[in-house]
Amino acid sequence: MFGLVVLVIFIVLGAVFPLFLGDPYDMNLSLMGRPPNLNHILGTTSFGQDIFTQLCNAIGNSFFVGLVAGSLGTLIAVFVGAVGPYRGGMADKISNLVTNLALVLPLIPLFIIIASVVRGLNLFLIGVILAVTSWPWAARSIRAQMLTLKEREFVNLARMSGDSSIRIVVTEILPNMMAYVMMVFVILTGTSILAESALSMIGVSTTPTITLGYMLYWAQHQTIVPFWWNIWWWFIPPGLVLTIILTAFFVIHAGLDEVFNPKLRRI
Amino acid sequence: MTQDTESQVDKSNSHPATVTDSSFSQVLLKLKGLLLNSYAKFVGKKLAFYLVVVFFSVTLVFIIIESMPGDPVDVMLSSGNPPPGADLDALEDIMREYFGLDKPVHERYVTYLGNIFSGNLGQSYHFYPVFATNIIQYYLPYTLSLAIPVLFVSFFVGNWIGARAAYLKGKLNESSYFALVFANQLPPFWFGLVIIFLYVVLFQSIPPIGAVTQGTIPSLSVDYFMDLVAHWILPFITLLVVYVGAWATGMRSMVTHEMDAGYVRYGEQLGFKKGKLMSYAQRNAILPQLTGLNMVFNGIVGQTLIIEIVFGWPGIGLLLYNAVFNYDYPLIFGCFIVIIVIIVVGNFLIDILYGFIDPRIRTGHG
Repeated sequence: MFGLVVLVIFIVLGAVFPLFLGDPYDMNLSLMGRPPNLNHILGTTSFGQDIFTQLCNAIGNSFFVGLVAGSLGTLIAVFVGAVGPYRGGMADKISNLVTNLALVLPLIPLFIIIASVVRGLNLFLIGVILAVTSWPWAARSIRAQMLTLKEREFVNLARMSGDSSIRIVVTEILPNMMAYVMMVFVILTGTSILAESALSMIGVSTTPTITLGYMLYWAQHQTIVPFWWNIWWWFIPPGLVLTIILTAFFVIHAGLDEVFNPKLRRI
Repeated sequence: MTQDTESQVDKSNSHPATVTDSSFSQVLLKLKGLLLNSYAKFVGKKLAFYLVVVFFSVTLVFIIIESMPGDPVDVMLSSGNPPPGADLDALEDIMREYFGLDKPVHERYVTYLGNIFSGNLGQSYHFYPVFATNIIQYYLPYTLSLAIPVLFVSFFVGNWIGARAAYLKGKLNESSYFALVFANQLPPFWFGLVIIFLYVVLFQSIPPIGAVTQGTIPSLSVDYFMDLVAHWILPFITLLVVYVGAWATGMRSMVTHEMDAGYVRYGEQLGFKKGKLMSYAQRNAILPQLTGLNMVFNGIVGQTLIIEIVFGWPGIGLLLYNAVFNYDYPLIFGCFIVIIVIIVVGNFLIDILYGFIDPRIRTGHG
């Protein structure tokens, strides 16, 4: 519950506030690097941009990346994880091998290389890249679920009554896996937001759009005072918001786990 | 499954001989041979799998880098300082031929594979005459000196804290849970910035960025070593806090789960001491924790690479980061392959460890 409330607050901050907060890039050179005050509740950047406005926009954009990557990644994971065990034989072997292979690949250097290869990056593309690289463990957990579900009575009944494979998977098995698919979606969204922030923060995926990670990048690289750590109100908020969002995702995941797996209650 | 049936066949074959005339020790020896055999099989299987991983990732990197924009020869020429009146076009052709960039893709792929498996990663484009291997071997110890201590220290400290947190009662339990989850979810790259900021606030001095204080001459003295440690400690703490959180969250829930189990309840009824019950629960909780070792190891290596960039710690991550911006293909190849090798060797050792600890894994007998 706590997680859901936090998440709703941030979604409102990210989706509604930018509509009437004005341009996040609007510079006001008479207000360079002001600490938090009444007019600018989180202070201003060293170019006089309002940090609260930037933060709200960044939250919205980060969520966008997370949702794109999370939903696409879940689709890939469900496809790879469900089709393999259901068809069995060669398809299963191949999908399992591919999953295990991809599971070992070090993602972050791969991100760094891919993000530097693809030109004209935008948020959607980054979401796609994250989805393509981060599905393996999700596919694995869905596969495990699939293996137990396909031996169940109702699936056998459907098979005996002559339903096609696709029909069985879509109408019988997937609805019973919805809880796991949701958990996978929650975790993938969270990790994608984190990964996108990491990439933008080190300045590899230089999209022109502001995200939480990109704010951190600016806070380090665009400061006019000698050291970036002197403007603490610039780099603290984005990271703090990121941590709280990720914690909310984790708590939601744990809550789902508790609801759907009462036997394996883990909290 | 095949392994399963094979070992059963082995058993049934050896059965008559052992039953007719054999002492107990002979049976033991046979059993030991069988176990060792299955363990060797298990290791061989894993080895083959990781070799396939290396092959695939090497190919993947080749494909990615082939599609990378920017011409390395152009970059090299623009970063150099050619003499006035030099024929740049001719120079470009010569360089292309020299680096083998004029050949078709598949030929380059074959030479590339051959080179990698013979340990030759080529010469760096950016630091031209130097071999990529030589550059990497200077940077590699820094990465390992960060990642390996973090793995071990966080494992022990995290599990210890997690087990203690599981026995807390009421409000304290709840808040400890949130604290651990929060620590786990801290983005290391941002937490690094916070640590630097705190350092500045507390000590009112320039934080130690890089590997050593600028201008220090490398030597084997104690001073130099202490300087290194002073620069190493901040990234180490950053990673440690995050991964202690990760282990502790898992351990806490596992121990809570185990303390609910039947055998602990039974022990309680029999009047066992609390400490005894706790040690039983912890021993059973640690095995599922160990299976997380693979994932956490991969995570730590990845996060180390980013933390290096934040703290300017001259490891593979920083090298890769700079190489990407210089279009230094051989160095990018090299860094990525070294990272893959670190991951693969680590995972292989962890898998062998599992087989060693839990016989069910190596024999395949559920």
